[in-house]
Amino acid sequence: MVERPDIRALVPRASAARLSRRAFLSGLVVIGGTSVLAACAKSTGFAPSALPDGRVEGKLNVYSWGDYDDPSNIRSFQKSGTSVQFDSFGSNEELIAKLGATRGTSGYDIIVPTGSYIPMMAKNGLLEPLDHRYLKNMGNIDPLYLDQSWDPGNKYTVCKDWGTTGFVYDTRAIKRDLLTWGDFLDAATTEASKNVALLEDPWEVACTFFAANGIDPNTTKKADLEAANEYLVNTLAPHVKAFNSVAVTSGIPEETFTLMQAFNGDVRQGLLATDKPDAWKFVYPTPTANLWMDNWAIARGAQNMDAAYQFIDYILKPEVSFREVDYIGYSTGIKDLAAMAKKHDFSYPELVFPDAEVIQRLTPAEVNSSAGELVAILNRMMAKAGS
Amino acid sequence: MSNTSPTRPEADGSVSLVGITKTFGNATAVDHIDLEVRSGEFISLLGPSGCGKTTLLRMIAGFEQPDEGDILVGGASVVDLPPHRRPVNTVFQSYALFPHMTVAENVAYGLRQRRVPKDEIARRVQDSLALAQMVDFADRKPTTLSGGQQQRVALARALVNRPKVLLLDEPMSALDRKLREEMQIELKLLQRELGITFIFVTHDQAEALSMSDRVVVMEKGAVQQLGTTEEVYRDPANAFVAGFIGKQNFIDATVSSPDALTTADGSIPLHRLPQGVTSGSSVRAAVRAEVVQVSAQRPNGPALQGTLAGISFLGDSIQYVVLTASGLELIARVSPDRAEHLSTGDTVWCSWDASELRVFEAAA
Amino acid sequence: MARRKVNGYAAIGFPTWAYVVFFFIVPLALVLWYSFGYKPDLFTAHANDILSFDRYAEALDATFVGTFWNTLRIGVIGTLLCLIIALPFAYWLAVKMNPKWRPLALALVLVPFWTNFLVRTLGWQIVLSPRGFLSDALQNLGIIHGRLDILYTQSAVQLGVVYNYLPLMILPLYVAIDRAGRPLREASADLGANRWKTLFTVTLPLAVPGIASGCLLVFIPLMGDYITASVLGGAQGNMIGQLVASQFNTAQNWALGSAMAVLLMVFTAAAVIVFGAAGLIIRSLVRRSRRVQLQGGAA
Repeated sequence: MVERPDIRALVPRASAARLSRRAFLSGLVVIGGTSVLAACAKSTGFAPSALPDGRVEGKLNVYSWGDYDDPSNIRSFQKSGTSVQFDSFGSNEELIAKLGATRGTSGYDIIVPTGSYIPMMAKNGLLEPLDHRYLKNMGNIDPLYLDQSWDPGNKYTVCKDWGTTGFVYDTRAIKRDLLTWGDFLDAATTEASKNVALLEDPWEVACTFFAANGIDPNTTKKADLEAANEYLVNTLAPHVKAFNSVAVTSGIPEETFTLMQAFNGDVRQGLLATDKPDAWKFVYPTPTANLWMDNWAIARGAQNMDAAYQFIDYILKPEVSFREVDYIGYSTGIKDLAAMAKKHDFSYPELVFPDAEVIQRLTPAEVNSSAGELVAILNRMMAKAGS
Repeated sequence: MSNTSPTRPEADGSVSLVGITKTFGNATAVDHIDLEVRSGEFISLLGPSGCGKTTLLRMIAGFEQPDEGDILVGGASVVDLPPHRRPVNTVFQSYALFPHMTVAENVAYGLRQRRVPKDEIARRVQDSLALAQMVDFADRKPTTLSGGQQQRVALARALVNRPKVLLLDEPMSALDRKLREEMQIELKLLQRELGITFIFVTHDQAEALSMSDRVVVMEKGAVQQLGTTEEVYRDPANAFVAGFIGKQNFIDATVSSPDALTTADGSIPLHRLPQGVTSGSSVRAAVRAEVVQVSAQRPNGPALQGTLAGISFLGDSIQYVVLTASGLELIARVSPDRAEHLSTGDTVWCSWDASELRVFEAAA
Repeated sequence: MARRKVNGYAAIGFPTWAYVVFFFIVPLALVLWYSFGYKPDLFTAHANDILSFDRYAEALDATFVGTFWNTLRIGVIGTLLCLIIALPFAYWLAVKMNPKWRPLALALVLVPFWTNFLVRTLGWQIVLSPRGFLSDALQNLGIIHGRLDILYTQSAVQLGVVYNYLPLMILPLYVAIDRAGRPLREASADLGANRWKTLFTVTLPLAVPGIASGCLLVFIPLMGDYITASVLGGAQGNMIGQLVASQFNTAQNWALGSAMAVLLMVFTAAAVIVFGAAGLIIRSLVRRSRRVQLQGGAA
């Protein structure tokens, strides 16, 4: 896995929007860390976590994605007397490998895994169950983002932020209204041919076809996969200019493409960076799309339990959470953020806070037996496009 | 070496340097040198390192450009020609043989650049290697040869081109003493046979004296003396040349009369006073170690007394170090069959023929 | 006595062979071992209880072969471009440049290496973008009409790999040319060769080991590179490293990924052998052309 350096040191904010952690890694790693898990599951004996005793510890160790929290929030939290130490990982594999190898002695209290990894992490004992009594602000979370399929009843995690996938197009090149994944594929093979960017992510690419044809994006049926392969490789691939998960943030200001599959928050970064935002239109396509979520969790073996709960509870406060949204460009799932955004003159709020109707039709990506075939399809598409 | 002489140049191999000056940054390497090298002569540029002799040679070869002055080879100016168009060849100090080519290919290199026909190349390489006694090594790589063999190849590689002038940049410095002495003789014979002008750079005065027709003694970028080996040896033009050629004893003295010098250890006789030196002036007298006699008995005539401080055997001579009362150190080299039986600590007398004493003005 | 000596050498050599064993042989053996296994289920990356060549059959499909040729083309052109650019530069550095400035120039050659590989590749995205300054400059100069359309094409990958690997070519070439040395060039000039003849008959032949190691240093990692292609390449600049990486990272199929990695190594080695053989043939032709057949000599 590639490291994730601090890209912003290189790119001025105005000229190229910063690359969010989603854009950077989603394509390269969807599933993973499993072999490490398989190894650590064989033995037992994790160092136990400390129990909360009401005395807040003086320090807290957070293991998260790089540059993924508003520094001003961290500074004001530290005023309570707890110093926060951040370490960063570049992929869920890295996180899981470290937790698995140290068997509860990693020293990390808070970790930030992605939703689809949580069942296997929980099953392998890497996560401490949450005691909701210490998270008074959980009530601030919109119920839409609670009780997700990968963590029923929020036993281990609470939402940190979430996003979805759609597409953005240049209205000077594509003069009709695109609304569905079917429209996307149609435009990709006609007006936008050779100017299309797809995410470098097997699940997301396959989802364009499944969604357009009314098939469950998490399908494992052989016939569905064969149909997707046939269409994506032979029909769509020759029209694709790039498979690139970082394309949109620079692709909009630099006008490298006319049609791009993209994550919602990244599109907003692209629009903030361009001098012609009106030329671009973003679509939450029907019938469905991915809903991904990164989550706060407490690592098994955590020694600063009280501080950990206090920190998560602090982050769930609406005004704190809004600063997080402003910093990372994705919604944190707290109620009434959209109203606060309006009050604060937040640009392009619709790209961060889709309507409830949109949210309800989304489908969280699952890791299932079709994963290998989806990778093969994407590889075949890339080979085909390059030939 | 071989009696066949494949490369006798008809052309004029004279070299004229006219007012040559070369500076590197602030340092003057060569300072207004004029020099006439006769066609077919063996001339040595002799001097300590840094005296400018190698720079002078490199300017003749074309590797350095003089700041001022002209260089003529065979009467024609070559100063504007690049090295590859000058009618001279060089034997380099490090030999500079091409390691990726065989001996024969190295020797053929220059002919090939001149587009000499293939069969003629083969014949001339053969002759040249025969001359250098290296035919048996024709297909070897230079790195597998000894230093002496490499030097012969370097020589063959240069001579095969029949240059008017051969430049040799300390070619013997990497050889051991025995080999060096053998090569000196061979080189001199070869030069006689071929009649090519040899300009030979060396810091070794023995080497220069044994091979050269004439010697140019250089120091600080200037010519100190130009003369035959005999002249330079017997009659050094100044104290520097005297000090550089042979083993000299220097004695600071005052001219007391037209035929005597006063030294701290007594009076010594004088054969003749150089022009411009008058009675009463301070001078520097020089006498070569080879002419100093050391004796336990006071000889007839003037002599300096001292204590024998050291004896060493040099093989062909015995070297005595004598310390006079004033602290002057005199060195004498005496042939073993003429040496007296002496031991360190003995009181001895040093004497020499007055005609062997050279007198120079004291350094300002 | 002799035996003790041998043991002594082995002890002195320990860091070397330990390094080779732990950092080369063991990982390579693991990859080879995995390649004969399979992916048993969704949550396991590899298993080796049943051994077979099936992963190789699976890996060697049209996707792999097509992408391999694409990669080989990028690799060969990239290596040649590096050579063509590095040769005059290294020559200038070793021969023409004032020795006083050489350390600085060498340091500048290495400056890009101070930055993360990914970041410096991303930098090119900004430079090559259709609305970037390079595009503007070329349009203002009238060199191109319309925006620069090079980002996400094979040309961008080609440019990216040349940029990323060029220092690996310059350094060995510089060392080789520097080692050939001024005395040999002067000897060549002294023997009547002009600068070009000297370059082609002395300097370059002596730089051949440097050229060979430079080509290997560029070609081999370039064949396995996936970051450059992934960042600059778009669909046309697809390289085989991306296939291998996707098996290890995304598909979590270490068995198939290992088989692909082994095939990549074998094919790259085969390519190197072919190019090496071609080089040897050229060398023997050059040698034959300059051979001197002495008449009646011992040769």
